[in-house]
Amino acid sequence: MTAAVMPLAAGELAAFGKDPWWIILIKAVAITVFLLVFTIFNVWFERRVVARMQHRVGPNVHGKFGLLQSLADGIKLSLKETIKPKGVDTILYVLAPIISAAMAFVAFSVIPLGPEVSIFGHRTPLQLTDLPVGVLFVLAAASLGIYGIVLGGWSSGSTYPLLGGLRSSAQMISYEVAMGLALVAVFLYSGSMSTSEIVGAQAGGSAVDIFGVTLQLPSWYGVVLLPSFLIYMIAMVGETNRAPFDLPEAEGELVAGFMTEYSSMKYLLFFLAEYVNMVTVSALATTMFLGGWRAPWPISLWAGANEGWWPLLWFLGKVLVFLFVFIWLRGTLPRMRYDQFMRLGWKILIPVALVWTVFVATARATLSAGYQRQFFFGIGAVVIVVLLLSFVYDAVAARREKAEEVEREEADQVEFDPFAGGYPVPPMPGQKVPGLEPAAVAVAAASAGAGSADSSGGAGAEGAGQQADSGEERGRG
Amino acid sequence: MGIEEKLPAGVLLTTVEGVVGYFRKASVWPATFGLACCAIEMMTTGGPVYDTGRFGMEVFRASPRQADLMIVAGRVSQKMAPVLRQIYDQMPEPKWVLSMGVCASSGGMFNNYAIVQGVDHVVPVDIYLPGCPPRPEMLLDAILKLHHKIQTSKLGVHKEQELEEQELTALESASTSEMKGLLR
Amino acid sequence: MNLYVPILVLLLLGGGFAVVSAVAGSLMGPKRWNRAKVDSYECGIEPTPQPAGGGRFPVKYYITAMLFIIFDIEIIFLFPWAVAFDQMALFGLVEMVLFIVTVFVAYAYVWRRGGLEWD
Repeated sequence: MTAAVMPLAAGELAAFGKDPWWIILIKAVAITVFLLVFTIFNVWFERRVVARMQHRVGPNVHGKFGLLQSLADGIKLSLKETIKPKGVDTILYVLAPIISAAMAFVAFSVIPLGPEVSIFGHRTPLQLTDLPVGVLFVLAAASLGIYGIVLGGWSSGSTYPLLGGLRSSAQMISYEVAMGLALVAVFLYSGSMSTSEIVGAQAGGSAVDIFGVTLQLPSWYGVVLLPSFLIYMIAMVGETNRAPFDLPEAEGELVAGFMTEYSSMKYLLFFLAEYVNMVTVSALATTMFLGGWRAPWPISLWAGANEGWWPLLWFLGKVLVFLFVFIWLRGTLPRMRYDQFMRLGWKILIPVALVWTVFVATARATLSAGYQRQFFFGIGAVVIVVLLLSFVYDAVAARREKAEEVEREEADQVEFDPFAGGYPVPPMPGQKVPGLEPAAVAVAAASAGAGSADSSGGAGAEGAGQQADSGEERGRG
Repeated sequence: MGIEEKLPAGVLLTTVEGVVGYFRKASVWPATFGLACCAIEMMTTGGPVYDTGRFGMEVFRASPRQADLMIVAGRVSQKMAPVLRQIYDQMPEPKWVLSMGVCASSGGMFNNYAIVQGVDHVVPVDIYLPGCPPRPEMLLDAILKLHHKIQTSKLGVHKEQELEEQELTALESASTSEMKGLLR
Repeated sequence: MNLYVPILVLLLLGGGFAVVSAVAGSLMGPKRWNRAKVDSYECGIEPTPQPAGGGRFPVKYYITAMLFIIFDIEIIFLFPWAVAFDQMALFGLVEMVLFIVTVFVAYAYVWRRGGLEWD
């Protein structure tokens, strides 16, 4: 098996690992600078867009269109006093933001930004490097980034950061499961974990033969594997601690979460890591589901769209769309409660992702083996079985509900004990206080009498109504 | 003392002063801290009509470790005073205090034993804002004046000179008891 | 191995940037010490003393971590299977469905025993 796979992988990744040292250095520096500049832009973009969503203007005083705003934030933070509270574990406290930021940068190394281009006459792919296990590497680097958060929360020696760090780590590992499961379907289709090959696999649409009719499938996995895409989108928001899943830094509960005791540059590094992670998961989503750097449909009609430096532009455009979605969610949705959040992750996303993975695998295995008819009959059979099961379940549930209702009514029939357990207690709904009943009847009778005595129409009608009520009550009693 | 405050006096220090002042004023993050009715006006100032976000001030930080400005919005009760002082102490340098409203500035109408008669008994105040409560326009004006103050603040040697001059002026000026006529 | 060298370079650059900025941050900026500043922040009140090691926290977090390990290993098994799926065809499918069903039984058990409840 491995012998069959390995030559293929080596053949596909032949373009990588051949760069001279200066090309590697240029690419690495370019990626670092790109991520820093993009973060500065991103903060500004977020504040402007959120402001627009809230009918505000947003930063527009400092710099043209307020573009200097996030730069000013960064420089101001670096010029603030660095506080080290006395309860902290010094080494981990300093190391935590460094781990977070470094891992955020590293995760970006296998993201393909474009096809082969010429840099100073040297042909090289627009991607730092690629591995046969590229996507796994991104997930691994993201997981290492969690260390920064949990260590930062723990080492601060204070209550809020500890709780924030714990929450954050629990949240990120929970959503990493769903994220990984969402990616399995993509690997099934692409047959590779290398990012550049996944982009390549989305280049041309495949055709499927259903009952003699040839269907041209769209090439983007985001369309072909829509449920995977949606699960990934939800998981990536949970993974980056962004609203509506920004529970680790919920101001109303935890001050600023794991960052509470961090000031100045160390806080800035956490901040930077969060935004770089946003870019990384967006870039991964672009690569896995939206065709990577390949031009979207109307542009792809132009023959030169996927050559040279142009793809960088399409890639950035797609990443920006994802970033906008992040901001949109933040501007729209209120924060979830922690138990709701964990329920969504463990009880909805994971089973849905598992079932979807099995479905995709079954579909691919049967369709590629030429069992179209059996496959669709199988789907029909499963649907019928599920429907039947739901009917059975409904019947059982209805019967159980009826039984419970009868039980409840029987409980209601139980005589009211005003001193149950030795304390005076009020009657439960439906229970009657035995001593009060004759008095109520007497009042009703008196009001009925008053109604008949008064000859004016309205009051008489009211009296009659009360009489009827009291009669009904007497009948029930 | 940081590096930027150890520079020798001269063109370099003046330039650094200008740049640092600009970036500090461009990004003043207030602490989330509201005490009474003035806080409602403070929230309005962050809202759509007045929008402090234009100056990059919509970032209300819940942790004082990341805040630059404490807007004391409302009367400070004797019980709140130590809390206020603790939060002020926990903010990193450089930090500023804006005393918003007449109650925070002087006790205002709460001339009684329960209220601190002016928050400057507890923390050093950079700018006083009268009004009961001040309208958001007034808060914006105070914020802009504070921005000016931050922009023109001195560093290092210049700061020391400035302090010395202030000390001298204070020593040479007539004390209140020696002043004649209407005190204004 | 050549494939991994650029990652090391980026790690050095990113980590170097983080270290340099952390060091620069502690060099720049004024420093004025006071007793309250080095206390931990607890909404302005005197901080409660923390026991060594950061105090106690709910055992739920341990359970979540253990569940994560179980499911993460499942995913690690799924990845190579998915990559080599086309070569294995129906055999791989049946094997993996059996594996997933086994994990699902454990999952249902955890759910039934309340391991996924948070309130």
